[in-house]
Amino acid sequence: MPSEIAEEYLEAIFDLTQEGQAAKTNDIAAKMNLSPASVTEMVQRLASDGYVSYERYKGATLTGEGMRIAKKIKRKHRLLERFLVDVLGAKKDEFHEEACRLEHAISDESEKRICQLTNNPKYCPDGDPIPECEDEDCAHCMNQSSVPLQELCEGEGGEITHLKCEDAVRIRRLISMGFVPGRNVILEERAPMGGPLLIKMEECRVALAKEYADLVMVQREHPGGTRRRTRARRGRGTKASV
Amino acid sequence: MEIGLIGQPNAGKSALFTKLTGIGAISSNYPGTTVEFQEGSVLRKGVRLNFHDLPGTYSLTGVSEDELVATRLLAERQLECVVAVADATRLEQSLVLIFQLIELGFKVVVALNQMDVARRRYSIDIEVLESLLRVPVVPTVAVTGEGVEELVEVLVSGNYTESNFQVRYDRHIEVMLEELGRDMNSATSKFPQRGALIKLLEGNDYFAGQFTDRFKAEADKARKEFREDHGEDIEVHITRDRYGEAGRVARECISKRVPPRKISDRISDATMRPYTGIPILVAVLGGIFLAIVFLGGFIEETLLSAYSAVVGDFFEQLAEWIGGPAGEAIASGIDLSLQAILAIVIPYIVLFYLLLGVMEDTGYLPRVVVLLDGVMHHIGLHGRAVIPMIVGMGCNVPAILATRVMESRRERLILAVVIVIAVPCSAQTAVIIGTVGNFAGLWYALVIYLILVALLLILGWLLHKVLKFEPTSLAMEIPDLRLPLPRNVLWKTWSRSKDFFVVAFPILLIGSLILEFLMAYGVLDSLVAPLAPFTEGFLGLPPVTIIALIFGVLRKEMAMQLLVVLFGTADLATVMTPEQLFVFALIMATYIPCLSAIAVMSREFGWKDTLKVTMASMTLAFAMGGLANYLFQFI
Repeated sequence: MPSEIAEEYLEAIFDLTQEGQAAKTNDIAAKMNLSPASVTEMVQRLASDGYVSYERYKGATLTGEGMRIAKKIKRKHRLLERFLVDVLGAKKDEFHEEACRLEHAISDESEKRICQLTNNPKYCPDGDPIPECEDEDCAHCMNQSSVPLQELCEGEGGEITHLKCEDAVRIRRLISMGFVPGRNVILEERAPMGGPLLIKMEECRVALAKEYADLVMVQREHPGGTRRRTRARRGRGTKASV
Repeated sequence: MEIGLIGQPNAGKSALFTKLTGIGAISSNYPGTTVEFQEGSVLRKGVRLNFHDLPGTYSLTGVSEDELVATRLLAERQLECVVAVADATRLEQSLVLIFQLIELGFKVVVALNQMDVARRRYSIDIEVLESLLRVPVVPTVAVTGEGVEELVEVLVSGNYTESNFQVRYDRHIEVMLEELGRDMNSATSKFPQRGALIKLLEGNDYFAGQFTDRFKAEADKARKEFREDHGEDIEVHITRDRYGEAGRVARECISKRVPPRKISDRISDATMRPYTGIPILVAVLGGIFLAIVFLGGFIEETLLSAYSAVVGDFFEQLAEWIGGPAGEAIASGIDLSLQAILAIVIPYIVLFYLLLGVMEDTGYLPRVVVLLDGVMHHIGLHGRAVIPMIVGMGCNVPAILATRVMESRRERLILAVVIVIAVPCSAQTAVIIGTVGNFAGLWYALVIYLILVALLLILGWLLHKVLKFEPTSLAMEIPDLRLPLPRNVLWKTWSRSKDFFVVAFPILLIGSLILEFLMAYGVLDSLVAPLAPFTEGFLGLPPVTIIALIFGVLRKEMAMQLLVVLFGTADLATVMTPEQLFVFALIMATYIPCLSAIAVMSREFGWKDTLKVTMASMTLAFAMGGLANYLFQFI
């Protein structure tokens, strides 16, 4: 695992090598506000660790591994910017620096959560592309935490994450009745003979057809089926007492 | 002063409208009672207030036809101010609509309705709510009239302005608004720049009509851009932000939230759970059927015997006093018309409306919707269609209007056809129960109802197959159960059945006088004779019944009332066999819709479809009558 400062270097080299050329020590120094001498020293160390290939007078380029780490950091940075702006409502001149500090601190798991929360964004607030996730199965990742409302058990609750639908009329119907991301829902009941689901939302109760309930994606209140596990435990408990 | 009443479905707009204007608007405990808007004018403290009762709407996006109507009226009327009827028990949802009204620059006065129910759950700090929204908020209980005076006071005093409250949207959206707003000239526009721009970004044309095409293209680009960036439609995001804001506002003014878990909740659950819900539904329907048969029969007998005790031999004296066949005709014409009203309208029709009113006001109907949604899909409809059908058991005219709650024209058409042909209206029920049920036996009446249910399913299924399409799906709010207020139920019953006294009675009177004259001078028999092969031969009915069938087109209950007149007795068992009564009632049950139903249908669906339905129903009615007559010969 490279140090925080090494990550900063890799990020800077990543930015400077966007057009395919090598990053000159002087340019790196200017970008990071450091003296060229200390930059040369650090770049040499990075080269010996296998993150960059360095040629004197020509400059540094990222190796495969260096590229992977740089992209990861860049991704965390831009996702964090999205999060700061979209979710926390940060101002334009604030979010950049904060993201710079946070990017080294957050775990991969949190990165994934932010990605899910901000709905897998493609660009950062400044319009630069967010590098893609390393996990190949993005769709799976997006869905692992949310399931269609339809799949909740009776009595189970969850929070709406997004609406999986392209049809504007259906989307409008759903949002106008209050099925919007961020709200909590409880599946109360399933009506007989393929009838609607009864959904409780705050103070309202809505009968929602299955076709609609398939479009509303929710995150279970107790992810990973804790409910079921509790039930099983209770079952064992009774057996033991008998 | 023009004032709009707007609010989410079932917030109590119509009840408030009634209390404000004294004009009766039908209100019930289910979403979508009002499909046609009403206007009412009233003079208060020297100011003329002109109220517009708009159909309920959750948002100003306009998805179903009733929401579109509300949106359009709001956009096009020159409203001095808008009374946002909020439901205190569902504050968040109400706030989302209020936000949009404020955004669009309407001067809003909030009537925080259903406070009686809300108070049992939590307390709402009105002052905090007022200071947050920066509009006047008046707590009301529309059904009892609480707070209505205060509301009028606010309206008359003119103590309201446009609020500068703003929903804070996602930063990206705010940037878009800023950028779009920069090169725009807002001087000429009808709606405030920000509000109209938000509507434009939401993809709504009604409020965004003020923009040039170049602008609309610009906004379209922004919408696409947002979608690519966020993987979410911008209108979803905007609504999400509104709900977020609504949640914050609600949290600040609501205190002491007691989780309600009352007996009525338990009953409510039982009405929707499959194992208890279906038996309850069967019991309710059976109860209504039996109540109409037995209670109706009892009331009829009581009324008729009271009538003869009061009248005595007045009409015989009247006949003698006028003298000759003309005297006979006039006397018995009036006499029998009065008897017919007493024997049919009051016992069966008024009673039915009373029961319907109770059912509507408890909030039970939406639960039937939930239970029957699955079944309805087989006939190309969804559960929501149940409500127009039940309304149709009262009268087909409002039922045809109520089909507007369905999303597509095809669904509306299927529903209207099924209602017109297979759902017996209260007048038809009076004919079925008043003739067959009373004089031929309960089982005959039950068989007719079973035939109608079968007809409804077959007809719906056939139409579903012929008009091939994907039925839309149910999304409907389920209101809490509550005890109906006797005043509202009685008032509804009166306003729905008064036509039978003020419109139908004069027609009946004139019709019977004409018929009596024709009979007195012996012309009637020769008039009906040419059609005898059809009536007598094919349907097995006495030739004079053709007159009743013809008048049945005018109004359904007249068919039976005229039977009374034609035979000169209210005791039909003495003049017709049970089989004849059965055939007659069966024909009447599916027969041509009455004139007002035809009129309303052609207005809603065009005369071509209406003509087809009318012809089909007549053919079907006679075919079934003929078939029944044929089958009776083997039994």
